[in-house]
Amino acid sequence: MTGRPTAGTAEGAVATAVAVKPLAVVGAGVVSAAGYGLAPLGELLRGGAVDAVAPEAGDYPPRAVRTVADFRVADHLGKKGTRYLDRLTSFGLVACKQVLEETGAPQTDEERARTGVVMATNTGSVSSHSALLHDTLAQEKPYQLNPAQFPNTVMNCAAGQVAIRNGLKGLNATVAGGQSAGLFAFRHARIAMTLGRADRLLVGGVEELSGPAAWAWHRTGVLAERAALGEGCAVFVVEEPGERAPLALLLGCEVAYFGPSAEPSGRRHGLAGGLALVIERALERSGVRPEEVDTVSLGATQHIGLNRLEERGVRSALGGLPAPVRVGEVLGETYSASGALQLAALLALWAQEPAGPRTGLVTSIGHDGNVGALVVRRP
Amino acid sequence: MAEQPHRRVVITGLGAVSPVGIGADVFASAVREGRNGTSEIRSFDASAFPSRRAGEVHDFEPSELLHNLDLRHWGRSGLLAAAAARLALQDSDLDPELLSRSRAGSIMGTTSGESAVLQELAGQWIGEGLKSIEPRLVRQAPASQIANAVNSELGLTGDAQTIPTACSASNYALGYAYDMVRSGEAEFMVAGGADAVNRLTHAGFYALGAMAEDLPRPFDANRTGILTGEGGAALLLEPLEHARARGARIYAEVLGYAANCDAEHMVHPDAASIAECIRTAHRNAGVTPDQIDYICAHGTGTPTNDATEVQAVRAAFGERIPPISSIKSMLGHTMGAASGFGAIACCKALEQGFLPPTANVVQVDPAFGPGVDCVPGRGRDAELNILQNHGFAFGGNNVITILGRLG
Repeated sequence: MTGRPTAGTAEGAVATAVAVKPLAVVGAGVVSAAGYGLAPLGELLRGGAVDAVAPEAGDYPPRAVRTVADFRVADHLGKKGTRYLDRLTSFGLVACKQVLEETGAPQTDEERARTGVVMATNTGSVSSHSALLHDTLAQEKPYQLNPAQFPNTVMNCAAGQVAIRNGLKGLNATVAGGQSAGLFAFRHARIAMTLGRADRLLVGGVEELSGPAAWAWHRTGVLAERAALGEGCAVFVVEEPGERAPLALLLGCEVAYFGPSAEPSGRRHGLAGGLALVIERALERSGVRPEEVDTVSLGATQHIGLNRLEERGVRSALGGLPAPVRVGEVLGETYSASGALQLAALLALWAQEPAGPRTGLVTSIGHDGNVGALVVRRP
Repeated sequence: MAEQPHRRVVITGLGAVSPVGIGADVFASAVREGRNGTSEIRSFDASAFPSRRAGEVHDFEPSELLHNLDLRHWGRSGLLAAAAARLALQDSDLDPELLSRSRAGSIMGTTSGESAVLQELAGQWIGEGLKSIEPRLVRQAPASQIANAVNSELGLTGDAQTIPTACSASNYALGYAYDMVRSGEAEFMVAGGADAVNRLTHAGFYALGAMAEDLPRPFDANRTGILTGEGGAALLLEPLEHARARGARIYAEVLGYAANCDAEHMVHPDAASIAECIRTAHRNAGVTPDQIDYICAHGTGTPTNDATEVQAVRAAFGERIPPISSIKSMLGHTMGAASGFGAIACCKALEQGFLPPTANVVQVDPAFGPGVDCVPGRGRDAELNILQNHGFAFGGNNVITILGRLG
């Protein structure tokens, strides 16, 4: 095991952590309440939030929402083959189309075989799933579902459809990790790329707003009263650093679980301490000192209690909270998409500021016990 | 490029909570005998369905298996996963304290996540309206609770990663966990998957015309489809060096794997893409087709899957096809746990020296052409060395793992 981390404990692993190789982010596709792409998101973040609106239709709780307004997938992809696509998969397809137009789609069979997808989701499309589930319970013949809609209920539908539309035959992963799902996606991409499983990956997260999901949020009472519910998708093309000028470099990405009974007795990091631990580990593996971080993109800004735990974890690891970015405040709570949209927000803000080296941190913390940290650098 | 520059990874613990029994040894005996694990559905009211069978785990009592989870806070899929993980840890004889102190976590596959919880929520929606759904159930609903349950049960603070890539998910989980241990991202990982029998999956496969009329009969000329199944499958992965140093029983070395995507159709499999996945898996594992002694097939028992799978295997193997069988004939299609059970069957087949059978076969489909040995009926004694485990999924997600006897 020479040259490998051989630590037997979490603390020990920090001391012997292996440095990571940077991955280049060469493009970003964004679908959000701000509009399409990074630029409108940057403007929105600088200018303050758009007004929250009431949902267009359907059974929603009394809570503000921020939707991707007037979204019709056929406007972006044409009518062919879009009839049965649900909103979540449609966001994913549109964001991927954007980023592939920006960076260039794979051209050869070899390139297609070595290009893959890593998409974050925790429940898939709640609207698709709950509508069909409702049908099987409410209809006299519960087996007479529309077979064309059933595949929408599997959680890897978006990743599969993205592969089909764009001919991406490489690894195709869908990852769940609660609030931190987006950071799990970046971490999975990093490990897969480091081991040579792909040359290029489309990595991101996606979430759709629906009545059932809105009620689920509302009923749990975990969000601040003023917090809006949101939706959207961000997808990044990542590859080994090469000729293309990157938007940013992804460095260390660490996750950990501090849920019920996860820690051995006698150790109590809790969520804030756990977040501090993964931040420290991610920084160390990135070769970045805490004081070099100039921007922190926070995830739990609308969650009662968690927001303070997240800030405490960051302060503990960095000694302060430099230039916090709170994308949830302008887009609403986007759950599975939040990690990806936090990175998008960071890049969108940097793009509006003078060129030059920047170092950022994306953090995540969830009620379920998952925490994560991603270190990002702009050369 | 054989996957050897990193450290070697072995499987030292198996946990099965399955329709044919609980515990790896019970599971292996049942599989070897070709025992049927399907029965009339009890977990939901299936009286309105034309088909009412599934592979349920009737004797699953979470409280008998779990040490740490508060049963009120977790859904059935998470409980199945955690119970399988606890069994795998016990089977490995690894010190639970050492595991808990180490960089260790879980990668768990699933198709429908906490489907039984979602089903209950939908019932509340229909009954009293969305405003009445219980927060307790909402918190249990995310698919990510499956790996979280494993980490909470075993006391693990490493990655708790659920992979919801449908019916090949636990093979993907096994591959990813292998990558994490071999690259040093983790010292130990639990890999596997879990799903629960539920109304929507049952209805969906029926609507697709993929449901078996009576029993699943993979590779049979008159096969008609799947029965849905459920269970939790878990495998404990550790570095070879560590396993040797503690004198662990080593079931198999993970030699390598490959994952690709058809990128053709959401539901219909693609033989060319599967064949390419097989070739890449062989290359990554540093093996050649003639070295493969057995294929644990995806083998759903739908007319399309089995024909496509045999076609792909023929394309990758040429003249000689190794014995290829489907344990779904006994378990039903356990969805996100399916290829995890496949990997467990492979490990036990290596240990005990038998070819797992395909149950319920009356006549092997002559359309497959010559030389297809699906080990009909009961298991057959055989000395095995290198095995290949298949998992394919909606979305065109193919994952193939290669497991070998430690040389």
